[in-house]
Amino acid sequence: MAVRILIFLAIVGVYSWAWTGLQVDLKSLQDSGGNIADFISRLFPPDLSILDVAWAKLLETIQMSLWGTTIGAIISLPIAILSANNLAPWWLRWLANFLQNVVRSIPSIILGLIFVAATGLGAPAGTLALGIYTIGYLGKFYQTAIESVDRYSLEALQVSGASWFQITQYGIMPQIMPLLWGYTLYMFEYNIRAASVLGVVGAGGIGFELVNYIRGFEYNKATTMMLVLLVVVTAIDIISTQLRRRLEQQ
Amino acid sequence: MNEIEQLAESDNISPAIVCKQVVSQAKIGNRPVLDGIDCEIKRGEFVAILGLNGAGKSSLLRSIAGLLPLKSGKILINDVALTPDTLQQARQPLAMLFQGGGLIPQLCALDNVLCGKLGAFSGWQTLQGFPPSERRNALELLDRLGMAEFANQPTRQLSGGQQQRVAIARALMRSPQILLADEPVTGLDILAIQQVMQILADLHRSGMTIVTVLHDLGLASTYAQTAMIVDRGRVGYHGTSQNLGLEFDRLCGKVDQQLVKN
Repeated sequence: MAVRILIFLAIVGVYSWAWTGLQVDLKSLQDSGGNIADFISRLFPPDLSILDVAWAKLLETIQMSLWGTTIGAIISLPIAILSANNLAPWWLRWLANFLQNVVRSIPSIILGLIFVAATGLGAPAGTLALGIYTIGYLGKFYQTAIESVDRYSLEALQVSGASWFQITQYGIMPQIMPLLWGYTLYMFEYNIRAASVLGVVGAGGIGFELVNYIRGFEYNKATTMMLVLLVVVTAIDIISTQLRRRLEQQ
Repeated sequence: MNEIEQLAESDNISPAIVCKQVVSQAKIGNRPVLDGIDCEIKRGEFVAILGLNGAGKSSLLRSIAGLLPLKSGKILINDVALTPDTLQQARQPLAMLFQGGGLIPQLCALDNVLCGKLGAFSGWQTLQGFPPSERRNALELLDRLGMAEFANQPTRQLSGGQQQRVAIARALMRSPQILLADEPVTGLDILAIQQVMQILADLHRSGMTIVTVLHDLGLASTYAQTAMIVDRGRVGYHGTSQNLGLEFDRLCGKVDQQLVKN
């Protein structure tokens, strides 16, 4: 009982400590309701005259995500294989996992800034940023898929004299492919949203226009952008959920 | 006594498998899983390895296949010492069956069988697929085991007994002299158990040495010539497979006495 009270007090303590960091001004919080309502009211009605711009930018975002995810997936696979405890020696695993952690700890927006500096404003920068960003996640997903492969099936190949490469080709790949496709589809979907944020730093995609409209107080146009994004993200989510379900049945 | 048994009885033929004071690196509680295994399995012997859970039966089999690192001791397969350097050479006469088959569930039965032959080809060769002659061999083996009609079906769609028969075909691709089987019938229905055990008996009749971990004393005395009882990481008994109940009582009695003493 005493332990429970201690845990409770500790939790309360942690939350209070975190609250002091927020420096919340309760007075302005009370006034904020009106501001939010005002902001939202100015978003409507959406200005449909820029629908063609929104559509073009959205297509660019999808194109960026497709290439970014593919580049990331291709680089992730070897990194995942070298990180897996059933395929690689400990020192290689340590190195590959460290690399994954480095990539994962860089926010996508920083990657965007780095590649804008390297290749200039526009979609190529965003695509490369997405590619690197993807490695941080797909590397880990692929790795867990490889590590969950049935041990006996690999040992059976080992006893039949298969080399490391053959075990990977015949033992690992067929067993993880359905999972790999599923994870990659999910990442593609996620990257469409991530690409929208990258536009804020000028790395191409729908986010660039979105932020420009908001900065220029053209809220009705921003709404159109967001609505188009919503429709497409929902559609892609439905399609990829269906696809993933089929893959899981394999 | 049949011909093979007579051959095995004679002294001028070296044993198929020899274990000398084998101690594993892996531990169970305070003792090594294999804690000084001494045994000799003759060529052409059909031996059932029995024992309680955690006694070290599967570990013994895995150590013979070179899948379990040893701390000390020696294993000889057809007179070749099993060491990290001689692993491929020592494994040459071996094939192994696993509980549940150990197949690649997404690959079709034929591809799974072909996997048994991976060691004979380089990675570059198998990247381009297997030669037609090997595919014919694989299909013949599947046919022999009554599985030809399932050759192109992914093995995840097959029943447990069918999967184990595909696994046997894969093991036979290596034309092994010694077949190790780790609980090959665990989880199968009665009919499938009989089929799999009958196949092992047929292979034994054709001259193959069979070493199989079993749980069922009845199966052991029906199909195996000899039995080996593993008890707390050591061989407690190695002899005829008849009257195993008595041997078990003797060993379990020892356990009870120790419990009383402690």
